[in-house]
Amino acid sequence: MFRKSLNLGVATLGLAMMLGGPAHAEETFKLGFLGGLTGYLAPYDQPSLDGLTFGVDEINKAGGLQGKYKIELVSRDMRSETAESAVIAQELAGAGVNFLVVPCDVDPAVAAGQISAAAGIPTMSSCASTPTLPGIVGEYMFSNYTADNLQAAALGDYAMKQGYKNAFVMLSKDTPYTQKLPEYFVEVFKKKGGSIAGIIEYKMGQQDFAAEVTKIKGLSPAPDVIMTSAYEPDFPAFIKALRAAGITTPVLGSDGIDSPTTLALGDVAEGVVFTNAGFATEGSALAKFFADYKAAKGKEPETLYVATGYDIVKVLDAAVGASQGKLDGKSLRDAVDGLENVAVATGTMTYKGMNRVPLRTVALNKVTGGARALVELVTPAAADVPAAQ
Amino acid sequence: MDIVLQQLLNAVALGGTYALLALGLAIVFSVMGLINFAHGELMTATGYGIFFGIAAGFPFILSLGMGVGLAVVLALSMERVAFRPIRRASPTIMLLTSFAVSTILHTLMQNLISARPKPIPIPDMLAGAVTIGAHQIGTIQVLSIVIAAVSLIGLTLFFRATLLGIGMRAAAEDFDVARLMGLNANRVIAVAFAISGVLAGIAGILWLFQRGSVDPLMGFVPVLKAFIAVVLGGMGSLVGAVAGGFILGVVEVLLRAFLPDALISYRDAISLSIVIAILYFYPDGIIPRRENIR
Repeated sequence: MFRKSLNLGVATLGLAMMLGGPAHAEETFKLGFLGGLTGYLAPYDQPSLDGLTFGVDEINKAGGLQGKYKIELVSRDMRSETAESAVIAQELAGAGVNFLVVPCDVDPAVAAGQISAAAGIPTMSSCASTPTLPGIVGEYMFSNYTADNLQAAALGDYAMKQGYKNAFVMLSKDTPYTQKLPEYFVEVFKKKGGSIAGIIEYKMGQQDFAAEVTKIKGLSPAPDVIMTSAYEPDFPAFIKALRAAGITTPVLGSDGIDSPTTLALGDVAEGVVFTNAGFATEGSALAKFFADYKAAKGKEPETLYVATGYDIVKVLDAAVGASQGKLDGKSLRDAVDGLENVAVATGTMTYKGMNRVPLRTVALNKVTGGARALVELVTPAAADVPAAQ
Repeated sequence: MDIVLQQLLNAVALGGTYALLALGLAIVFSVMGLINFAHGELMTATGYGIFFGIAAGFPFILSLGMGVGLAVVLALSMERVAFRPIRRASPTIMLLTSFAVSTILHTLMQNLISARPKPIPIPDMLAGAVTIGAHQIGTIQVLSIVIAAVSLIGLTLFFRATLLGIGMRAAAEDFDVARLMGLNANRVIAVAFAISGVLAGIAGILWLFQRGSVDPLMGFVPVLKAFIAVVLGGMGSLVGAVAGGFILGVVEVLLRAFLPDALISYRDAISLSIVIAILYFYPDGIIPRRENIR
């Protein structure tokens, strides 16, 4: 008896799925997320997913993308392993996702992108900032985050405006971010007439910067400014050693140091200027996002990656509008590629004519009394942005 | 000449931290034959102990004590829960277990605390520099040298003057014979883990003074350095571990300071080549554990 009713139940369920299936699929936008929720990418991919989830919940409450297409978010942990990234991309492609968000780092993003792009699924890295990424993978791959060359252009321009003539640069060849961003800066700074006092290399995680600082101290003439894209734990160790040695030269950094640690460093970090993806001025979209997030979760986001993760949902909403509801890979891809001035939490984003690396607003922040103070919000002129290489 | 002396001071400061870490690894290895790769997580635990201490409003010094205390508790717990059941197992099993403990701990920290770094505000008085004669040296580096020296002297006294310390040295030389002499194995091993916790805690504090934040993965690089130092000094030799730590620190800093720019990308390769060259001439390490010497 039990068995019979079970069979009947299964049959009913099956019938219901058959009847309800196609209509249901039309209303659902399947969004895949694969990221390093554990391992070295967790500090970036966890908040990206957090923001993405927040955006998905918000838009689903309002009826879905363009008020019609509810998002079904499927997320997977690739444990910060490149090989795992490809395996999960295969799984999610098989599950029929309409759009795939891939890790914050170039290598696993490429591994995943090569699978999903081949399957014709538009793919976007949550926060990889290497501008060559979409070009490496191909037509279906997009970036989301403020690219390295964009940040370098903003920093180079700022340095010139401050009247700095002679810059010293510290880079590490361990990652594209720590190497290329300073190299793009050198390109911009030289093009605008500045000179480079020297370039020094460090090793990520080396902790002790006394040797490098002693070298900088020995420079004659002393540089006007020091630029680096080092981030935690290297940047705090570096700036402490630098200031302890009595070197007061201004320091420029990038979004990697946009963290509570930098603000908690006290006097040593005072006056450090760095770029990031946005600044919450009063009445701005970002301020509203922070307030909404706080209202929902009881605390402000730990990092801007939450906001840039949320931005992806805004881009999707605009793309589905542009594709007039067509959710197939080709239509979505073309739609994203043609987006202009999409209002997102961190400002605006433009993909049109940008080779799938968005033009975003760059915020220049200055560490002032243990807080960020806005220097300016800039959108670098396309001619000032060094070519991705 | 000035710059040479300055860089030598830098080298000693870094070497001192490495020495403390290596000694922590070596103490456990000497009594148990285990290279505990979860040693780095003890440093991380110190960081979180300090972070939560400060967040709860405790004074800075007390928070430092809480950090070291947490490292000791964690070291004792990992011995009791993970390593005691496999004490008689092969070295490979012990090694893999320590990797597992390390992975479990940092995954727990990522998911239960935060994957993002947590700031540890360091008092401004630690940010400055001390002038010694014509030389300037960072306060943190002076502290590193002093704290490393005090810890090493304290530990030497412990090993030479206390019964437990002498027992541990005996256990380090030949654990089975020491047990036959009436040494309590559980106690010796637990004390070894406790000491390794204290040393990881102190090294962790010095590390944190430099970096200003704690994150779940912060123990990874230091434990690798400590492992190199232990191998360099001679597996199981306590004095060797200290020597290995200092040598590694000095080699790293001097290479960073004096290698020509064109070669600086290769400095890790060069420093490891130097380590290999030393091991070629001293295959058992610089100061090997005394075995079968009558």
